[in-house]
Amino acid sequence: MTDRQEVISAIEKGLAEVLERQLPDITEDTRLFDDLRLDSSSVLELLLLVEDSTSAAVDPETLDIDHLRTVRSFADYVEGLLAAEEGRT
Amino acid sequence: MAATAVSTLERVESYLPERSLRIEELAEHLGLRRAALGVFRKFYGLDRLRFDPDLPLSDLLRPAARAALATLPDGAHVSYLIYAHTTQAVAPPDVEVAQALRADLGLESAEAFALSQQACVSSLGAIDVAGELLRADGDPDAYALMVTGEKAYSPVVQHVPNTAIMADAAAACLVTLDGRGDRVRSFVTRTLGEYAEWLELTPEQNTEFGERYGARIAEVINQALAEAGLALDDVELVIPHNVNLLAWRQTIKELDVPAEKVFLDNVPRYSHTFASDVFVNYTTLRDEGRLTDGAHYVLVSVGLGATFGAMVVTHHRPGEPQT
Repeated sequence: MTDRQEVISAIEKGLAEVLERQLPDITEDTRLFDDLRLDSSSVLELLLLVEDSTSAAVDPETLDIDHLRTVRSFADYVEGLLAAEEGRT
Repeated sequence: MAATAVSTLERVESYLPERSLRIEELAEHLGLRRAALGVFRKFYGLDRLRFDPDLPLSDLLRPAARAALATLPDGAHVSYLIYAHTTQAVAPPDVEVAQALRADLGLESAEAFALSQQACVSSLGAIDVAGELLRADGDPDAYALMVTGEKAYSPVVQHVPNTAIMADAAAACLVTLDGRGDRVRSFVTRTLGEYAEWLELTPEQNTEFGERYGARIAEVINQALAEAGLALDDVELVIPHNVNLLAWRQTIKELDVPAEKVFLDNVPRYSHTFASDVFVNYTTLRDEGRLTDGAHYVLVSVGLGATFGAMVVTHHRPGEPQT
């Protein structure tokens, strides 16, 4: 079981890699596109990195970019994937 | 010949260089991180592509053009050779590709010129222009040859951020009026000049362009169908450009059609080949026996700049009576 803080840490770690710079302070309200100026590809890169460091499995067919707009919605989405994963095992 | 004569696609041919790579083999060449390539593979649906830097442009263009020309009936002649391309500079400044191609194909009596203003929609646009020129001339034995094909000659051209990894391919389409081939029922384009900066858009513009991409494609498809007097249900298949699966998943949702209605098999095989995709995909479908006589198809592409284009055609096999 990965808790919320681990998911947030995975997002922070992924963000540092995608942005290639030290992160400003982020909160769950931080907006990935508007505040951090990620584009659609870099948000997906972040998702791949978080997928790698947790056991979440993203289905590209059902992905909705709206899930990835803020740190909160991103973490909710990843937690949802992890819960679904646990339900299957 | 009546000014209302219908443009017909008499023969479509395509050509792909043999050298096939996995996208990961381009990581260093394109300066792409592992995660960025992972995005292209997992979310954009890319796998392999054709890319041969050693193949001269003339050798890329020749096979499909010659194959299409070989079907020209006795007594007919080619009045126009139109070279349609996406990148404005495809050759050194002292080489005029359309003129070189005319000489290479032995089409000295044809008027040859190039079109690139609609980027990856230029090939569909060239077919529209060919029809208009032939209608203006009124010569019943006249044909036009549209040739498309260009090389991903630089990383700047090959990697379109957030969008595509471009690859090599070529295609040709022999066009006449009221012939026995596929009938062009409508052609619609929408150009949005606010994206004229191509690869220099702001992150906000890129995001907005990406988010509205599917809706805008759906718009031109629906408009082209309306002009053809058809509905989406009447269409056998949408034959799209191979930009990526993410964009087409979005478009399929906008169109509210089953995913099978859009032919996407070639995205992981060939990736986006500039203005050639639609014709490469057409020949794949034809060679697999998947084009039905009398059925309607929508050819769709999007060009940077940005132009959204859709052409509705009714397929006719050679030798089958027209309906």
